[in-house]
Amino acid sequence: MANSPTSPGAREHTFDAIVIGSGISGGWAAKELCESGLRTLVLERGRDVKHRDDYPTALKNPWDLPHRGKLPRDIVTANPIAKKCYAFDEATSHFFVKDAEHPYEQEKPYDWIRGYQVGGKSLIWARQTQRWSRFDFEGPARDGFGEWPISYDELAPWYSHVERFAGISGNYDGLETLPDGEFLPAWEMNDVEKHAQAKIMGAFADRHVIQGRCAHLTAPKPQHLAQGRGKCQARNLCYRGCPFGAYFSSNSATLPAAAATGNLTLRPHSVVESILYDDATGRASGVRVIDAVTKQTTEFFARIVFVNAACLNTNLILLNSRSARFPAGLGNDHGLLGHHIAFHNYRGSLSGSIEGFEDSYYSGRRPTQLMMPNFRNVRKQETDFQRGYMVFFGAGRAGWQSGASTPGVGAAFKERITRPGPWGISMMMQGETVPRKENHVRLSTAQKDVWGIPQLVTSIGYHDNDERLLKDFFARGQEMLEAVGAKKIVTRDSKQNPGLDIHEMGGVRMGRDSKASLLNRWNQLHACSNVFVTDGACMTSTGTQNPSLTFMALTARAAQHAVAELKKGNL
Amino acid sequence: MNRREALRHTALVAGAAALWASLPSRTWAALAAPTGWDAAEETLLTLIGDTIIPSTATSPGAGAVAIGRFILTQTHDCFPPEARATLRRGLSDITASSQQRFGTNFSVLDRAQRERVLTEYEAQSVAAPHPLRHIKELTVLGYFTAETGATQALRYDPIPGAFRGSVKLTPGERSWAL
Repeated sequence: MANSPTSPGAREHTFDAIVIGSGISGGWAAKELCESGLRTLVLERGRDVKHRDDYPTALKNPWDLPHRGKLPRDIVTANPIAKKCYAFDEATSHFFVKDAEHPYEQEKPYDWIRGYQVGGKSLIWARQTQRWSRFDFEGPARDGFGEWPISYDELAPWYSHVERFAGISGNYDGLETLPDGEFLPAWEMNDVEKHAQAKIMGAFADRHVIQGRCAHLTAPKPQHLAQGRGKCQARNLCYRGCPFGAYFSSNSATLPAAAATGNLTLRPHSVVESILYDDATGRASGVRVIDAVTKQTTEFFARIVFVNAACLNTNLILLNSRSARFPAGLGNDHGLLGHHIAFHNYRGSLSGSIEGFEDSYYSGRRPTQLMMPNFRNVRKQETDFQRGYMVFFGAGRAGWQSGASTPGVGAAFKERITRPGPWGISMMMQGETVPRKENHVRLSTAQKDVWGIPQLVTSIGYHDNDERLLKDFFARGQEMLEAVGAKKIVTRDSKQNPGLDIHEMGGVRMGRDSKASLLNRWNQLHACSNVFVTDGACMTSTGTQNPSLTFMALTARAAQHAVAELKKGNL
Repeated sequence: MNRREALRHTALVAGAAALWASLPSRTWAALAAPTGWDAAEETLLTLIGDTIIPSTATSPGAGAVAIGRFILTQTHDCFPPEARATLRRGLSDITASSQQRFGTNFSVLDRAQRERVLTEYEAQSVAAPHPLRHIKELTVLGYFTAETGATQALRYDPIPGAFRGSVKLTPGERSWAL
């Protein structure tokens, strides 16, 4: 009997590899697998977004936006979660999931910010990219809450691999706590920032103020020009999509590279319901997909499956992939799937005013900030909290926006508010949180989405450790701003919910011990070796760095391992 | 090659020609007026906005960018319904102040008198939120994000090309619009 179109073996439904998700890690999986000669199907639940063609606001002037960038109130009130994201505005809202379209249950308050489209959140990420150090990989075992199965040295060449292609700007700072990478020229500091750098590093030996590292082409190399990408124009309108391809996204970089091989099939509007498990082989055979538009169910088959649906949705898909062998979700023999979710603590910020520097200004808009690698508990435990935090800095002059709160009217008022105002300096934290078993996601038993898939329940909260770490950041931040000579220093606890950091990680963590983790050192499920998880879900701990660069490096490494294993006949 | 040509060229190189060509050029005056406000109220708001940010030697004032229409539209679309009442309260307070101090309507006062009325009103402690704060916030936003305000009262550089961290500020130089 001939195979039906959706049976295993039907060519149009059978591939060498399936990648679930087209965001920052899925794009890398697609590129590596396609370039290795594998016929690869990339499933994206959202609509297609073509580089440049589908960035409708990218070149709009402020006066071209009906509400000058502010979102109308009906959209704001309809999106109590999405509206909290700093990047959600009139020029970018089309790249964000609207609350009503994809509900979930918050057992504890959790702001889940999502981008369902080809390219995922790689279109709207903050583009800050730092390598982890050995201290970040070794820390969890030292502190007794987890164990990374890989070392910094093992990942270092893969960092280099992704950095060369993506294009990362930064200085060679020579710091053990934040290893250097393959850098394009760094962005400049302004005069007050240089002043702050000198004062802080003069006063505190272990606190390094460096220029931020980001995925922007400050001086494109031949490999970037070959991708059709150009130099960053310092517009800082990145969240609209970059028509110059100057920042790294799946849309501008990895997906076109994958497509150029002829091996890529990209299928938008494809909601993955579950991964199919084959008892006979002990492996996954493919995935079940619900068409987001027609709601028809289809199955696709492949020898390997990469799960890159973004952290929480990757957890959801695995939890929903239930079979006789895995009644609690694929690979979940010990009930740990969905647990140990962690995130970054972004609650603290400080600001102050700086006197002087009145004849100094700057031009252009820099897409990064200064930063300070973590200096707490690096080599040993030394505080009343576990782990540490990175600090971001910036200084700038008040602009016309301060006119709203400036007293006065008339020509003198107009004159005053059109001149650069006083300097201000600000600091914010990016704190590591410790993955705790109780911080978890699970499938709702009551609520389903419009495709009949169980909704996700989030049960993720802060811990006393996070409060103590925040307190320390305020004290250290205060002393640093005082050293800089800042006046009117204000500290602020945003008390923001977990999730708004958009750095969710864990739930399918890597580890040496298959009883304490889900994934091995190659990101394969311990219990189902042809399924790879390489997005945020795989993270054993969070570090203090922006995570995307590490997802990219882990993905490229795992994809090349998968290719090698396929060639050896092991998969 | 002028500025616009140069930018068009840059966009073209980046393959963004279609986007560039599709750029709309809209003004607030072309938008439909929110319902519930008559022309006199809109005119009064425009005059208040133009008193806050007047025409000067180098650039037109807020009256030149249809600021009354902007304030009404923005208040209706982007603020809670209570903001409409705040706005009405402001218009009625300002009208009353004009009558009280100068015995006539705001619209017939000369510029110095209008500035006097608004300055005194701004300093008055009235029920929060202070209506002038709302009007000023939207006047500032509407003016400096309008083409006239951004390009003539400020320096507008949509595609800077680079970031320079240390630039000597010469006396009289204006802020960046973006």
